[in-house]
Amino acid sequence: MNMQNTAYDTTAAQPVTEQETLLKVRNLQMDFGGLKAIQDVSMDLRAGIVTTLVGPNGAGKTTLFNMITGHLKPTAGEVEWLGDSLLGKPPWKIARQGIARTFQDLRLFTHMTVEENILTVMEQGGWLWQSGGMSAKTARQERVASILERTGLKDKARVRAIDLAYAERKFLCMARIMATDSRLWLLDEPASGLDPNSYGLFLELLRSEVANGITVCIIEHNLDIVVNISDRIAFLDQGRLLADGLPDEILNNPELAAIYFGER
Amino acid sequence: MLLLQLILNGLQVGAIYALTAAGFSLIFGSTKIFHFAHGATFTIAAYLFHYALTNLGLHWTLGVAMAAGGAVLFGILLDRFMYAPIQRHEGSFFTVFVASFGIGIVVENVIGMVFGRSFISVSTSLSRSVELLPDLYVSPLVGLAVLTSLVCFVAVHMFLMHTHAGMALRALSENTELVKTFGLSPRRLSAYAFALGSVLVVPAAIFTASSSGLNPAVGHHVMLISLAATIVGGIGSIRGAAFAGLLIGMVENVALWQVGTQWSEALTFAVLFFFIIFRPSGFFGRAAVS
Amino acid sequence: MTAYILNLVVLISIYAILSTTLNFIIGYAGIFSLAHAVFFGIGAYTSAFVAMNLTPSFFVAIPIAMVLAALTSLALALPALRVRGEYFVAASLGLQMLAVTLFSEWKGFTGGIGGVIGIPPVEIFGFALVKPWHFLILTLVCLALVIAIIQRLVHTSFGRSLKSIRDSESAALAAGKNITVIKTLSVVLSSSLTALAGGLYAFYMAFINVESFMLATSVLVMAMVIIGGTGTILGPIVGAALLMLLPGALSYLSFLPQTEIGSIQQIIYGSAMVLLMIYRPGGIVSPKTRGEAA
Repeated sequence: MNMQNTAYDTTAAQPVTEQETLLKVRNLQMDFGGLKAIQDVSMDLRAGIVTTLVGPNGAGKTTLFNMITGHLKPTAGEVEWLGDSLLGKPPWKIARQGIARTFQDLRLFTHMTVEENILTVMEQGGWLWQSGGMSAKTARQERVASILERTGLKDKARVRAIDLAYAERKFLCMARIMATDSRLWLLDEPASGLDPNSYGLFLELLRSEVANGITVCIIEHNLDIVVNISDRIAFLDQGRLLADGLPDEILNNPELAAIYFGER
Repeated sequence: MLLLQLILNGLQVGAIYALTAAGFSLIFGSTKIFHFAHGATFTIAAYLFHYALTNLGLHWTLGVAMAAGGAVLFGILLDRFMYAPIQRHEGSFFTVFVASFGIGIVVENVIGMVFGRSFISVSTSLSRSVELLPDLYVSPLVGLAVLTSLVCFVAVHMFLMHTHAGMALRALSENTELVKTFGLSPRRLSAYAFALGSVLVVPAAIFTASSSGLNPAVGHHVMLISLAATIVGGIGSIRGAAFAGLLIGMVENVALWQVGTQWSEALTFAVLFFFIIFRPSGFFGRAAVS
Repeated sequence: MTAYILNLVVLISIYAILSTTLNFIIGYAGIFSLAHAVFFGIGAYTSAFVAMNLTPSFFVAIPIAMVLAALTSLALALPALRVRGEYFVAASLGLQMLAVTLFSEWKGFTGGIGGVIGIPPVEIFGFALVKPWHFLILTLVCLALVIAIIQRLVHTSFGRSLKSIRDSESAALAAGKNITVIKTLSVVLSSSLTALAGGLYAFYMAFINVESFMLATSVLVMAMVIIGGTGTILGPIVGAALLMLLPGALSYLSFLPQTEIGSIQQIIYGSAMVLLMIYRPGGIVSPKTRGEAA
C-alpha cells in the first residue's frame, strides 16, 4: 500500500536535474481532542517539483499546510526547511524564510484595495517605515504594477477586495503570493470554482511561475490540475499518506481511485 | 479563625463565580459568540428576584422561577434577534462584541432608571449568619451556594455527556462541520447554548443578591470575572472556567487577610495577567494561538 | 452664551482626540480596548503632578505624561496581544478596573477620591494660557496634530500592516508580519496620544478626579468611535460631537425626567450601537456599505 520514496520522473513538465530537498516532513501527527487529523505523515518537497495533495474532504490536507506554516503546532513529528527545524517558530518567521501560502477561504484583506493587498505583502520587515528609502519604494510600486498586469487585475487596482468578483478574488490570492518572493508556495484549492476562461489564465500563470523556479504544492480536487501540471501526487486519506508517487501510478491504482471517487 | 472565615467566604464567592463563568464559557465555547451581555443577564436575574420578593412579596420559589425565566428569555431573544442577524451578514468579532456591549449598557441604565442606582440586597432567613464557632460567622447561604453549584455542574455535565443535544453542543465547540452529523441545525443549538448558559447565572445572581447585594453596574464586574475565568481556565473548557472562577473567588477573599476589599478587582486582574504572561492557554486549554 | 459654546468646543475637541486615538486601534488595528480612560487618566494626573511640583510648561508636562502612558500600555499590550483578541478585551477591562482603584487610593499622586485641585494654567514658552479662547486654540492645534499624525501613519506601510491584521490575522501572519510587535506598537502610539488629551483636560479643568477616568468614559469614547464610524478620519470626530451635544439636546426635551438625562443618554448610545451593528456596521460615516458577504 505504501508507495513512498518512489523515484521521480525526470521527463516531467520541466527539466529537473539535481533536486534539492526544500521541505522535509517526518512522522507528523496532529490530534484534535480525540480526533487524529494527521497520522505519521512523512514526505519531501523538492525544488522545482509540483506536488499535488489529493484526497477526500477531511483527509487532513489543509491541516498539513497549517502545520508546515506554523498556524498549527503538530502533536508530534518534525518539519525541516533546508535542514533547519521549523517547529515552534511563529508563522511570520516561517513565512519570511520563503514559505508562502494561500487559504481555501481566501482571507483577503477585505477592506483594503487590490493594490494595497499586494503592497502590504511586500512590506513585511520594518517597524514604522520600510528600509531602502525612495528607490526601494519605487521598486515595490513597479513590482505591484507588474503583478497586477500578470494577474489581470490592472483595472481593479483601486477597488477594495470585498468588491471584487469571485474569480478576481482568486487571482488576488495569487497576486499576493507572487508578492511574497517565496521559494515554496502552498496553494489551497487555488482553482476551485473558476470558470473555464479564468481557469486557463490561472494555469498559464502557474506554469510560468513554476518555470521561473517556484516550487509548488497544491491541494486540488480538479483532476485537470492533477493530470496536467503535477509532477507528483501525494494521496491523503483520514490523516494518512496512502501513496506518494507519479501521477500515472496514483491515478491507475484502483484502490486509491475507489477511495477518491467513492467518497465524492 | 479569621482565615477560616475568609476561606469559607471564598468558597461561597468562588461557587458563584464558577457558575457565572461556566455560563459564559459554555456560550462562547460552543457558539463562538463573545457574549459580553452575559453580565446583563446576571443583572436581570438578580433584579427580577429582588422585585419578586421585595416588591411583590412572592415566595422565593416563584422568585427563582421569575429570575430563571427572565434570564433564559433574555438569552434566547438576544441570540435570535441580535446575534443571528449580525452573524448572517458579517459576524466578525467586532460587530458581535459591540452589539453585545451596547445591549449591556442599555440594560444597566434601564434597570438603574427603574430600580435606582444604589445597592440592593434581598434579605432572606438564610442570609443571617450564625456563630458556628467562636468568632466564626457562617450563613447557611455558604453551604447552599456550594451545594447548588455542585448540583448545577453535575446537571450540566450529564446534559453535555448523555443527551443528544448536549453531545451536539460539544461537537459544535470542536468543529461546526461535525454538527451536521447530529442532524441538528446550528441555530437550534445556539438557542440551547444560550438557554443553558443564561440559566447558569441565575443561582449566582440570586446568591449575590441575597448575600453581598448588587447594583445595576454589577454587569461589568461579572464580565471581568467571566472573561478572566474563561481565559485562566482555558478557552473552550467549561470545567476550566468553573475551577478558575473558584480560584478567583478564593484569592479575592483570602487576600482580604492582608489587603482591603477595594483591591479585589486588582487581584482578579493580577491572576488574569499572571496567566496571560505565563500560561496563556490556561489550566485545561489547548493552543491559545488564533 | 459664548462661554458655554467655547467650553463645549474645547471639550468636544478633547474627546475628539480620545475618539481619534481609540479609532486608530479599533478601526485600523482591530484591537478592542476598554482601558482608554486609563491612559486619559494617566495623562491628566501626570500632567497635573508635573505642573504642580515641577513646571506647568506644556513641553515638559505633556511629554512626561505621554511617556508614562506609553510605558503602561506597553506593559499591558505586549503580553496580552501575543494571544487572541479576546484576551486584550479581558486584560484591558481588568486594567480599567484596577486603575480606578489606584486612582482613588494613591493619594500622593492622584489626591484620592477628592482628586487634584488647583492645577496651574499651562504655559507655552513662559506664556500662561489663562483665557478660554487661548486654550481653545491650543486644543484645536493639538487635535489637528493628532489627526495629522494618525492620517500619516495610516497611509504608510505601518498603516497597511495594521489594516491587513484587522482584516485577516492569519493571512497577515502568512505574509510574514510580526503581528504582536505591530499591534503593540499601535497601542503604545495610541495611548501616548491619549495622554495628550489627558494633559489638556487637566490643564483646562484645573481640577480632576477619578470620576472622569472610569469605565463609563472608556465606554463613552468607544461609543463615539462606533457611532461615528470606525476606520475613517471624520467618523470619530462626528461621533464625539454628537455624543457631547446629546446631553444638552436632551435637556431641552422637558418631558424627560431631568435627573435621568445621564441614563437616557447611555440608553440612546447603547441602542444605537446595537442597531448600527445589525443594520450598518460601518457607523454613520462609512465608505459605502461595509461588510457584505465576504
